[in-house]
Amino acid sequence: MTRGPLFHEQTARQRLAALVDPGSFDELLPPPERITSPYLAQLGIPVSFDDGVVIGKAKIGGRKVYIAAQVGQFVGGAVGEIHGAKLTGLFKAAARDKVPCIVVIESGGVRLHEGSAGEIAIAETMRAIFECRAKKVPTIAVIGSDIGAYGGMGILSTCCDFRVMSEHGRLGISGPIVIEKWMGKKAYDSSNRALVWKTSGGKTKYLLGDADALVHDDAGAIREAIAKLLGKSSAVTLKAMKTRQKELEKRLKRFGQTADPDAVWKGMGVRNIEAASLASGPEFAAMAKRGK
Amino acid sequence: MEKFAKAFPSKPLAAKTAKPWALAGVVGSGNLEVLLERGGRPSDTMECHVETSIPGYKASWLAALADFAHNYPAGGTKVTINDQGAPPVLVNLRLRQAYDHLIKGDK
Amino acid sequence: MNTAKTTLRRQNKAQRLERVARLARGKFVSPDKVPEVLKRIIEPGDRLCLEGDNQKQADFLANQLATLDKKDMSDIHLVMSCITLPAHIQLFKKGMIRQVDFCYAGPQGTAVADFVKAKMFPVGAIHTYNELYARYYIDLTPRVALIAAAQADRKGNLFLAANTEETPAIVEPTAFSDGIVFAQVNEIVDKLPRIDIPADQVDLVVQAPYPMHLQALFTRDPAAITDVQVLMAMVALRGIYEKYEVQSLNHGVGFNTAAIELLLPTYAERLGLKGKICKYWMVNPLPTMIPAIEAGWVESVFAVGGEVGMERYTAARSDIFFTGRDGSFHSNRAMGQLAGHYAIDMFIGASLQIDVNGNSSTVSKNRITGFGGAPNMGCQPTGRRHPTKAWLKAGAEANPGPGSPPGRKLVVQMVETFQAGRVPTFVEQLDAAEPSIRKALHGVTPVMIYGDDVTHIVTEEGIANLAACRSIAERQAAIRAVAGYTPVGLKRKKRETEELRRRGIVQLPEDVGVRPAEASRSLLAAQDIKGLVRWSNGLYDPPPQFVDW
Repeated sequence: MTRGPLFHEQTARQRLAALVDPGSFDELLPPPERITSPYLAQLGIPVSFDDGVVIGKAKIGGRKVYIAAQVGQFVGGAVGEIHGAKLTGLFKAAARDKVPCIVVIESGGVRLHEGSAGEIAIAETMRAIFECRAKKVPTIAVIGSDIGAYGGMGILSTCCDFRVMSEHGRLGISGPIVIEKWMGKKAYDSSNRALVWKTSGGKTKYLLGDADALVHDDAGAIREAIAKLLGKSSAVTLKAMKTRQKELEKRLKRFGQTADPDAVWKGMGVRNIEAASLASGPEFAAMAKRGK
Repeated sequence: MEKFAKAFPSKPLAAKTAKPWALAGVVGSGNLEVLLERGGRPSDTMECHVETSIPGYKASWLAALADFAHNYPAGGTKVTINDQGAPPVLVNLRLRQAYDHLIKGDK
Repeated sequence: MNTAKTTLRRQNKAQRLERVARLARGKFVSPDKVPEVLKRIIEPGDRLCLEGDNQKQADFLANQLATLDKKDMSDIHLVMSCITLPAHIQLFKKGMIRQVDFCYAGPQGTAVADFVKAKMFPVGAIHTYNELYARYYIDLTPRVALIAAAQADRKGNLFLAANTEETPAIVEPTAFSDGIVFAQVNEIVDKLPRIDIPADQVDLVVQAPYPMHLQALFTRDPAAITDVQVLMAMVALRGIYEKYEVQSLNHGVGFNTAAIELLLPTYAERLGLKGKICKYWMVNPLPTMIPAIEAGWVESVFAVGGEVGMERYTAARSDIFFTGRDGSFHSNRAMGQLAGHYAIDMFIGASLQIDVNGNSSTVSKNRITGFGGAPNMGCQPTGRRHPTKAWLKAGAEANPGPGSPPGRKLVVQMVETFQAGRVPTFVEQLDAAEPSIRKALHGVTPVMIYGDDVTHIVTEEGIANLAACRSIAERQAAIRAVAGYTPVGLKRKKRETEELRRRGIVQLPEDVGVRPAEASRSLLAAQDIKGLVRWSNGLYDPPPQFVDW
């Protein structure tokens, strides 16, 4: 009954230690180098030695990987200039060295205190991800943390070849509070946690095909899923883009007017909503007839 | 923000440690990160640098750091702290965690 | 024989019921008639009991009472355990209350403090639960009691469901002294699952238009437990539970003790403590106990009250929980408090403030909350005669004199040195000692647990064994030693602390074999509410505010 620590509760450093082969992690720009945000310091906001993202080289199942993990507790994992430059550099190195690259996301998007710098950094990282994909270097986003992947980081995750999620992870562009502000509390009550997870949580994202694996909230399970995807890449072709566009149009037509997320689950073949809600990620994946 | 630095007398750190540096904690609301580094400093003091978002608690910071330097052989180390309003208990816990990791390695 | 005098009260009761006979059908009153009925059954000068503890509330009757005016009801002596509803405060606002004797004022603590200041809250005393229930039989017997039940049958028998709580403690003294018992019920049925209060003791019944208020008071989300609380829990397990082999106990409702419960199937199991500690519990059906129960740690649990969402689970685990012949959960506040007073090895709980002498309180300058049940359990029951290992061991440490009992109950305060917002827990003097509060309470400082009763204080700094201290000065030094970097703690003297540590009176985590770096939430058997539901095999139904799936 007892498992290891829950992935969504671990810190970025604990996650990295648990995801890669023991002792294989070699941090780039480690804390003693003290590369911290000059903007935050000017604003009188505490800085962090890694600026909220830990990057480095490691091995998973003996295979060389580059890997990054965001620190959600630090300014919500938001991407500032240095944080973003670290991500960009890592993916560029991955493309250059042809080493698979993994990003463990925990971020609400761009760091408002350094807006343009953060925006540009995310755009540059996306470009580096597409460089990887052009060279068939696998890129994987892991989304299984408390904050989820929102804003620019939500978009960035969808640029990767694959997304590995846990039931705890959430994926979206606008966060729940933003949606409520725009649409009104009646349309979307951000304090209704069950609703939030049913609309942006891992289970729903897996049902709709936005996530490629739905695994236990546990580093070991995530590592296994990553290992399976490391050898694969999916090319970005015009044909693939058109197919995806069609899928999305179909989805919008089918569920665009639905106010009840349970209806989406039912539509995607989930029979027992209550049991499915309580099921673990893999149990859910097994229960749900995955729609295409 | 409040910044201060002070060195505290402490017995020398073990000659061999598992790592040259260790980091514990994260900078988040009510939390802090402690970076503990060895090497290149007088072996009878623990050098401390603190940056905290909540000013006015220097006395309890210094008392906590002095106690740590007294209770653990940490001479020759440098402690650097980025704090976002952690209570003293967490300061203690993170110091002990960083120290443990430095000596015994990550577990 | 003076029969005239003894029949007077009975005649008076008959007169009161006669006045409402035309408003009721037998015992049954329709909701719209309730204000008029209350007006007619309550007389000036009455002692009035409104049922409501920190969980269950006769809120419909309270709300109806609050619609009356001073001309309808005045000069009332309120005797009730908990002042928790806005309706209760209304009665004071309207000047109906001559005196109030109560136990606890959680959510209304600020209002109570304001009314005390404005001299609109004439307190007799703030009691502990059993103290007030006991006085119901001596000098505070209610004339009229307004109570709450889950169901009534057509005769007026009552079913109290999981939340029996204090109903019997109110009904018995009232009914057997010719007082009037008026019950609000959620529904009226033909056949009750079981009879908790016989119709013979019930005079009036109303089916309330909404179910009685039940507070999910004991639900602690494991997700909110911190690493520091895990550290303290580890220290307590090794330094107290393991050391004294605590078999029977009560846990407070905080996150500190929730952490202990969740470490039993993991950390404590690794220490080989299963079967040696924590077998018999006097505690509400805490959801955080589910993993320990499922892992086979717990022999029995008796409770003072129920907990929302635990109904199916407790029914399924009737080998552990006390249940009625219908199979559903049964609680009893008075008996639970009695058990917690006499029959347990240890009480462990938290507090908002602890002074340098070990006195604790939850009263602050702007908030008077009172006591509830903690002092009934967090005290030395000198009427106790039966020995247990833990009791004798703690007693021997306290070095009993020729005129004192050989054993001691372990009374443990478990607190972080700072509360949220960097408010120090340890203080030189309690806010409760504020002269205006003492004056309103007729010279009594509202102390939750007296320092003399406390055997141990556990903080993130370590354990202070107060029972082993040989003087007041030594006790103060031991408290300062674990008070961390609070102003109280900063006054400690290093040499004194080291001497106390040498004698084992002060113990750091390392001294009891705890590695602080190991203290992590990942040791908890469940890390969120969903984890508890899974441990319960889907039998636990958490309240909606705790559900994110």
